[in-house]
Amino acid sequence: MKIKLMVLAVSLASFSGMSAGLDLGKLLEERIKQELNKDKQSQPAPAQQPAPSPTQAPATAQDAAAPPPPAKQKIDARQLGFALFGDYSPEEEMRIGKQISGNLLGAVPLVRDDKLQRYVNLVGNWVALQSGRKDIAWHFGVLDTEDINAFAAPGGYVFVTKGLYRRLTNEAELAGVLGHEIAHVSQKHHLKVLKQSSLIGALGQAASSKAKGSDQAVQNLIGNGAEIMARGLDKNAEFEADRIGVVYAARAGYTPWGLPEVLQDMAGLPAKDNRTSLLYKTHPHPAERLAALGEAVDGRFDAVRGKELADRFYRIR
Amino acid sequence: MKNFLIPLTALTLCVSAASAWAASGTVLRNDKLYSQPSATSTVTGSAAKGASVNILAKQGGWLRVSSGKTTGWIRLLSVRAGAGGIGGAGLGDVVGAATTKSDPSRVVAVAGLRGLNDEELKQAKFNGDELARLDNWAATTAQARSFAGQSGLAAVNVPGLPEPRPQQASSPWENN
Repeated sequence: MKIKLMVLAVSLASFSGMSAGLDLGKLLEERIKQELNKDKQSQPAPAQQPAPSPTQAPATAQDAAAPPPPAKQKIDARQLGFALFGDYSPEEEMRIGKQISGNLLGAVPLVRDDKLQRYVNLVGNWVALQSGRKDIAWHFGVLDTEDINAFAAPGGYVFVTKGLYRRLTNEAELAGVLGHEIAHVSQKHHLKVLKQSSLIGALGQAASSKAKGSDQAVQNLIGNGAEIMARGLDKNAEFEADRIGVVYAARAGYTPWGLPEVLQDMAGLPAKDNRTSLLYKTHPHPAERLAALGEAVDGRFDAVRGKELADRFYRIR
Repeated sequence: MKNFLIPLTALTLCVSAASAWAASGTVLRNDKLYSQPSATSTVTGSAAKGASVNILAKQGGWLRVSSGKTTGWIRLLSVRAGAGGIGGAGLGDVVGAATTKSDPSRVVAVAGLRGLNDEELKQAKFNGDELARLDNWAATTAQARSFAGQSGLAAVNVPGLPEPRPQQASSPWENN
């Protein structure tokens, strides 16, 4: 994985030359050209596909791009999407996450409480250290809304709402919630969604992009505003994030029962509550998540001890 | 070792939900009941998926539950809190909705707490100032390690969890 990332980084660096900032537009163009050439050449000699790098592992991008049936049009959107986004560089990932997060923060501001935000960043970074993704600069924030939810965006952006934070009773529960979101990032769940979406609209303006504050090329990719946060992920991605999240929290020295406690609390809330409508639109019901997690955990945490740290938990005034 | 917790009918569930709202729960998977919050203690019975229980206490990964005259400890993840049944949109939700409708003051209270919605997120405009604020609060790895150490947190070797085999066709979500 690490090697693959490095290889990718090198191959990307060759696209962007010596310039410090990665030019996503140029990268897109290059990859499109490659795809078009590949289409022409692949008929007589599929083995001679020009790959971005000869040393690249024959993984997702190549495999995924191959199977689709012969395209009716010149470019099949889906095939192109896979080809373009089979892999993201850490820089691209960060750019995408930054844009999504900037939009989300346009809809909901951060709570103006330095101690709270600082505390959540310290807990979050400590849990994220257990994820093995060291190529990421993590950002954690508490959103100023009574809505009960949490969000993750690529590149290490994690948000918890004030409404959810208020319901937590100790640091282990916070670690569990953050662990779930960190897992979305480490497993690149949102990038996989983007990979599958149609990208034709994104390509037009990509080449003319200039990344300053708001990033138009990335914006085209992610759709309207922070809409991607309202669309949600595959159910299995949520179950996976639960499984991985509790393990991250346990590896950080917390009790693994933090996230289950939070799910229990949410399971006890009435469903017709405006504060959880978006959460339930984008996540399986807590009861279903508890059941799925129970299947995976069974007795595996019987010997795991960890801390709750209720005393240190920062409470919102 | 008999299955003493027989899944109750919706009607009796409804009655019990009203009397013991906060402490009620539903068994999510067939599991054993123990005399202590430990899998090495004596097994005192078993609980059947779908049975309703009263949650009496909580300790670590365990819940002390009762049904009728029998009590015992069961794994935290084998029970859901609330009276919603094994699925999501279960009985508890129906009760909740009914309460909301019949009690106008409650409608106001709930509606007053406006949640996030799709449209808000869709219309959201990039806010660079907030993003800069977020940057200022970021912590370094060294700071996080030091923070962890202050409370005696140390990295523990915990193996990852396996992906459970695909569930049978009956999803609890669809049962309701």
